[in-house]
Amino acid sequence: MTEFHRFVVDGPSDPADTLAGLAEQFHLRENEAEEFDRRFLDTADGRLHAEQSTLEVRSSVEFPLMCSLVWMRGGQVLASARVEPGATPGLADSLPAGPAFDRLRGLIEMRRLLPVATVRSRLSACSHLDSEEKTTARVQVDVSALPDGRPLPALLEVRAVRGYEDETSALLRAMRTHEAFDPTDLSTADLAREMTGAAPYLPGKLSLELDPRATADEVWREVLRELHDVMTANFQGTVEDIDSEYLHDFRVAVRRTRSVLQEGRGVLDPAARDHFRAGFKWLGDITTPTRDADVHLLDHPTMISALSPEYGDALVPLHELLLARQRSCQAQLAQDLRSMRRAQLGAEWTEFLAGAGPWADAAYGDDAPDAHRPAREVAAQRIERAHSRLVRDGRTIDDASEPEALHDLRKDAKRLRYLLECFGSLFPPEELAVAVRPLKSLQDVLGEFQDTEVQAHALAQFGRQLDAEGADTDTILAMGGAIEQLSVRQARARREFASRFGSFDSPAVAGAYASLTRGATSKQKQKQKPGAKPKQKMTSKRKRRSGR
Amino acid sequence: MKILATYNIKGGVGKTASAVNLAHVAAGRGNRVLLWDLDPQGAATFYFRVKPKVKGGGEALLSGRRELGDVIKGSDYDNLDIVPADFSYRHLDLMLDDARKPLARLRKVLSTVADEYDYVFLDCAPSISLTSESVFRAADALLVPVIPTTLSIRTFDQLDRFVDENPDIVRKLRILGFFSMADSRKRLHRELMEELRQQRPELLPSQVPMDTDIERMGVHRQPVTAMFPKSRPARAYQSLWDDILERL
Repeated sequence: MTEFHRFVVDGPSDPADTLAGLAEQFHLRENEAEEFDRRFLDTADGRLHAEQSTLEVRSSVEFPLMCSLVWMRGGQVLASARVEPGATPGLADSLPAGPAFDRLRGLIEMRRLLPVATVRSRLSACSHLDSEEKTTARVQVDVSALPDGRPLPALLEVRAVRGYEDETSALLRAMRTHEAFDPTDLSTADLAREMTGAAPYLPGKLSLELDPRATADEVWREVLRELHDVMTANFQGTVEDIDSEYLHDFRVAVRRTRSVLQEGRGVLDPAARDHFRAGFKWLGDITTPTRDADVHLLDHPTMISALSPEYGDALVPLHELLLARQRSCQAQLAQDLRSMRRAQLGAEWTEFLAGAGPWADAAYGDDAPDAHRPAREVAAQRIERAHSRLVRDGRTIDDASEPEALHDLRKDAKRLRYLLECFGSLFPPEELAVAVRPLKSLQDVLGEFQDTEVQAHALAQFGRQLDAEGADTDTILAMGGAIEQLSVRQARARREFASRFGSFDSPAVAGAYASLTRGATSKQKQKQKPGAKPKQKMTSKRKRRSGR
Repeated sequence: MKILATYNIKGGVGKTASAVNLAHVAAGRGNRVLLWDLDPQGAATFYFRVKPKVKGGGEALLSGRRELGDVIKGSDYDNLDIVPADFSYRHLDLMLDDARKPLARLRKVLSTVADEYDYVFLDCAPSISLTSESVFRAADALLVPVIPTTLSIRTFDQLDRFVDENPDIVRKLRILGFFSMADSRKRLHRELMEELRQQRPELLPSQVPMDTDIERMGVHRQPVTAMFPKSRPARAYQSLWDDILERL
């Protein structure tokens, strides 16, 4: 909302002198300079950095016991609170109370705040005043150094107070044209991280930019390498349980890897493909109990808020049970991830991706007929097939279908989604977006349907356990209430399914998928027209589940 | 976004000082706060050193020709913004009278900034008028400063009667009364406060003292909570804000 500009102060003169010169020229009122020790915090995936804000524990050098937690964006304090010296906020519940920090809680969600940079700063500030002595802009010079004494480039920041942008235009013009000032987007924390060679923030999404002219085996390996990087980046955080998102991202990368291997029939060496599919299935399976336990804990506050307030305390024993369960699952997971089996899988996989070791001579020939075809063509065929399958299976579901039919459909949807996510950059982005949107909407409702069912089953099981351990009647009643809430949500998702699937199975969406893959395949066959009866065969298992 | 209006039918009871200091206290605790100076005298605007001028006047805001967000001015304090007073506000009643659904008008104008603020303080001119009725409809709570004098207490009774007799206007409005300009050295003040607290246990426990530091706000053009944060009145406003939060 307010105008904010940041410059690197370059040149031989002391930045404080530069500020004094400006103060004289523009009648700025100089405020007292202060020295602070500042520890910047962010999540592993840089959520604060991504929205150009910073969070710091700041203590005055002169009064080290005066310690504050300050969240800022564009030179403006979004939230601040006194904290104990040495305070290290971590997860959302360790942040101070109040609406301002609620917004920060909403931003970091389940992620832990981690120290990302430490500096000592001398902050000199000036106020630009109007005829009423009202501050119309704030100017600050930040001269910081790393703990080892290495200085950071000095920064000058100007923020026009809201509603006073016109009054400060002359000042800003002078700064923009000042030979010693270079505009920058980098904050003090960014500069410190840059100087100390800090690891980059974990990417939230895959950052693949695949070459549509490349062959299928090249692209498949590139995608698998990227997914391997995601697994590697999240491995240690998963072992140490820094926050639940490490495991989540690790698991997603494992699932995507499995999916890319599955779709690699005809592209990858069959023996290698079978070997690693089994390996990653095992790796996925060992992470499931901990993820389930994490999800129960993450959903606990929502569950409490859906109940009458008097039941809040009644669920404390359940929370304790969930915590104990998570700890025990996590301990087992850490052990499995440090095992020889996992290490061997990791080493073999690295060799495979590098085309080294026993995989160096992996033959393609007849066993991998698609390996040297254009990647875009092969990916388009896979997408087309996954889309047809999802449409075909979805059309068999009606009100009488078993829940398993929806669960199977969720897998179909995931398969298509992973293909679009992993190979999407081979296709025009605008067409990709049109294809993903209705799929995501369908997945949301399928996810809600299955998650509520799984949670209700788990809660019933926990209830029996707590009952056997002599839990209070209120606890059992509250859990019954929570199961009831889940079944209401599940029923709502079930009702919503038909309309979401209807939107997905529309001529417009079918057209979007056709347009996405059009031209990518030489032997393009329109197997299924929107609204036409599915021609592909259904497995007998699916027939049973769908009630046919 | 919660809307709180400092209001009393009677003038000179500490409405503006309460709005200015409570807004500053709330912002100081990390809330995003907007103070709208609805009193054409513009005392709150003056305290924040903002010029008492709104482009197009109150009519432009009420008619929707100008967005509220376009006339907001940042104060010298983090998270605290001002909608300045304007001399045209003396005709707010007439402007509202001409508008469609006059009682809902103010709330509608404020709804355009609902995502930007946690608390809005409306500093109202004394009177019962169409403007104050529109304030009653917009606000979640009325903060009513009461001087412990017989006359001031009578105006509080008048407000009570109005609230009882006009449920369609006030709807779910909370009335949060508190003693203002209380002088504990005066026997009359002490006695009246004691008597009134027995009659009206819903009065907020904190009371704002009569203090020269509050008078100095006009000289320094700052909230007393910024100027003298450890002073008796500053502490009183801090604890008054705690009381208000408990009742919201």
